[in-house]
Amino acid sequence: MNIMEMMGSNAGLYLAFLGSAIAAGLAGAGSAMGVGIVGMAAGGVITEDPSKFGRTLVLQALPGTQGIYGLLIGFLIWSKVGVFGTFVNVTFEQGLMLLAAGIPVGIVGFFSAIYQGKAAATGCSIVAKRPEETAKAMVYAAMVETYAVLSLLASFLMLNSINL
Amino acid sequence: MAIVNMKKATIIALQDEKESLVKSFQAFGGLHVISIEDIDDEELKNIPKDDAREDATRFEGLLSQVKYSLDFLSKYDKTKKSMFAPKAIITESEHKEYLQDLNKAEEVYNQCKAINEKLAENRNMETKLSNTLVQLSPWSQLDIPLEEIGDTDYTISLIGFIPSKSISEFEESLSKSETEHYFKKIDDNNESAFYFIVFYEQSEDTILDILKQFGWTKVNFTDLAGTPSDNIKDIEEKLILLEKNKAELIEQAEALLFNNSYLEALFDVLTIEKDRKDVISNFVKTDKSFTIFAWVPETMVKELEESIKKVTDSYLLTFEDPGEGEDYPVYLDNPKLVQPVEMITEQYSLPNPRTVDPNKIMAPFYIMFFGMMVSDAVYGIILAALTYVALKKFRLEGGAKKLIGLLCLGGLSTILWGALFGGWFGGLIQIKPLWFNPTDEPLMMLIFCLVLGIIQLFIGMGIKAYVDIKNGNVLDAIFDQGLWYVFLIGLLLMIFNPAGKYLAIAGAVGLILTQGRDKKGIFNKLFSGVLSLYDVTGFLGDVLSYSRLFALGLATGVIGTVINEMSLMLRGSFIGNIFMIIFLIFGHTFNIAINVLGAYVHSSRLQYVEFFGKFFDGDGMPYRPFKVNTKYIEQKN
Repeated sequence: MNIMEMMGSNAGLYLAFLGSAIAAGLAGAGSAMGVGIVGMAAGGVITEDPSKFGRTLVLQALPGTQGIYGLLIGFLIWSKVGVFGTFVNVTFEQGLMLLAAGIPVGIVGFFSAIYQGKAAATGCSIVAKRPEETAKAMVYAAMVETYAVLSLLASFLMLNSINL
Repeated sequence: MAIVNMKKATIIALQDEKESLVKSFQAFGGLHVISIEDIDDEELKNIPKDDAREDATRFEGLLSQVKYSLDFLSKYDKTKKSMFAPKAIITESEHKEYLQDLNKAEEVYNQCKAINEKLAENRNMETKLSNTLVQLSPWSQLDIPLEEIGDTDYTISLIGFIPSKSISEFEESLSKSETEHYFKKIDDNNESAFYFIVFYEQSEDTILDILKQFGWTKVNFTDLAGTPSDNIKDIEEKLILLEKNKAELIEQAEALLFNNSYLEALFDVLTIEKDRKDVISNFVKTDKSFTIFAWVPETMVKELEESIKKVTDSYLLTFEDPGEGEDYPVYLDNPKLVQPVEMITEQYSLPNPRTVDPNKIMAPFYIMFFGMMVSDAVYGIILAALTYVALKKFRLEGGAKKLIGLLCLGGLSTILWGALFGGWFGGLIQIKPLWFNPTDEPLMMLIFCLVLGIIQLFIGMGIKAYVDIKNGNVLDAIFDQGLWYVFLIGLLLMIFNPAGKYLAIAGAVGLILTQGRDKKGIFNKLFSGVLSLYDVTGFLGDVLSYSRLFALGLATGVIGTVINEMSLMLRGSFIGNIFMIIFLIFGHTFNIAINVLGAYVHSSRLQYVEFFGKFFDGDGMPYRPFKVNTKYIEQKN
């Protein structure tokens, strides 16, 4: 008995779920770590000067977007296979394609969120010492996000080409 | 011209009229005084400077005292200040009165400082006592005075604790050991068990070994006497006393609050005086006259002369254009609609005065990109309405005003792009897009974004060429930008028509021949030329970076849809409907916040990295005119 027989006629659907789990799960995990890293640095800044809460909060929000991008792709996969209504028939090949579409945003989201978190954490020390330069700290963090945005685009374009 | 031309003014007038002239300069509010240290003139170095620095330092000291008092008292001020409250008005004579009576400020400062120090001392005592209290609390059942624990002639007594999990084993091994001892468990709080132990000196080693084996931590209360419960009672009483003491101190601070309006006015009066002294310290001084150098915007030259004339007839005023290579302060003058965008440039760096102010050209792009990235008409309406109200109702100044203005313009742009792309509250309101729906036609949207990018990048190169030509480097403009235009346009044409190839090749050959023109030797020249073609990948990267316009717009729309669908799942019963509405409000508020932040950051990034990268020359010195700078009061003559 081979794997395909084991999974039966729902093989495509399983793969689609795996794809959405990678997209939403990995990107979300990365964001959680990234946001946490910035939070730790921001906490240090706040002990010195509580009035900088707003600025550090903005920095902390930046690595949070990857999780949103991942959820977005996950959601598009779910609505494609009919999680919110009735399930549609997904072939094994289509399932593989949906799985592949979830991978870019999942993997790039995971790593970019962590590194964006680190960049933003350094940004917190800019906020502590030279609050007037907060915008520059934000741009450094946003440079990392570029790749998350590109992976979102990649995932979306792949997903968009799949017709069920 | 968006960067205002500056004239260098030299003013010579009489010492006797120094004070009143400085006052009129401050009221005029347009002089950017040149620091005397920055003037590179051998002759000037030998002429004495005015010695106002000492006065300025004295005012600075006073100012920091007043600020300390204000900050300290603000912690205890419970009255809320309205944002619309008019500023107190201070007349000329009142201004003088404030300056005559500076002792009061020092008195208040000393009082504030004394209270603050006592409060800090109080706080330290409190922490110390509460710490001891925490350490003592497990021993409350021990009825032996603490000073009696320790060594006697024949015995040793100890108190300490072990981890709770090994209580039974610990007691067993103590009982089994062949020593004479006594132990008692005083307390047990799931984590640690607290013991009192007495034993003979000769069995010390055996007992200590057992203690060590079970992770014994010895406890010492060296500076305490009496039983633990007596001590606890004593500390609790002391803490109540400290609390009372603290309340009294706070009351004392609150009793000083009536000084607030005096301190605020004094703060501004002192700032005004300090600024004057700062300016005077940059005067060049002779017996009877003084000289000051300052930048003044070209448009204000006449006004300056008139303001001096009002004070005196004996003066000498000359204007010069900035010399070759001399940097002058950058003052940006843009139409009201463009002003908010200045903030974006200022956060990057002010432009070099000899280049151009990018704001006017950047503004439409920035606002457009912002709108495309949020791209939901309802979000746009909310954002524009909120910021418009804030602009009209609050008295905003400087950066805050620019930021709110920027968000307002962004909101308007969002309405437009939301309508064009058919984004209305994440699809909750179904309105056909005026143009096309990017989610349905992603390729078209992607191409549109990249085309916008190419347009902005070409404009950036055009600005660089313009600056080069303006500064007389026509050849640089032709070689660096002109040939790149030819090459890139050729490459782009190739998409539609193979004939574009010839244009591209012509451009490439031109670039190979010219890009190495600074290098020595024919081989180096050609090598650098060929290498420069590699920059085309940089251009490609820059263009692709604009695809974020699509991706971020997509994110807003899809997240909005997710929120809607999840909320609608709750629909049905009465309570369900209420939850649905709450969920919708929270969800969309979150979506607006995160996407506005994203749009702001990424739209800025496109300007900084892609657009400015093509031409921008920063490091401009900001224009800081000498003027009346007040926070709390308004001055009246």
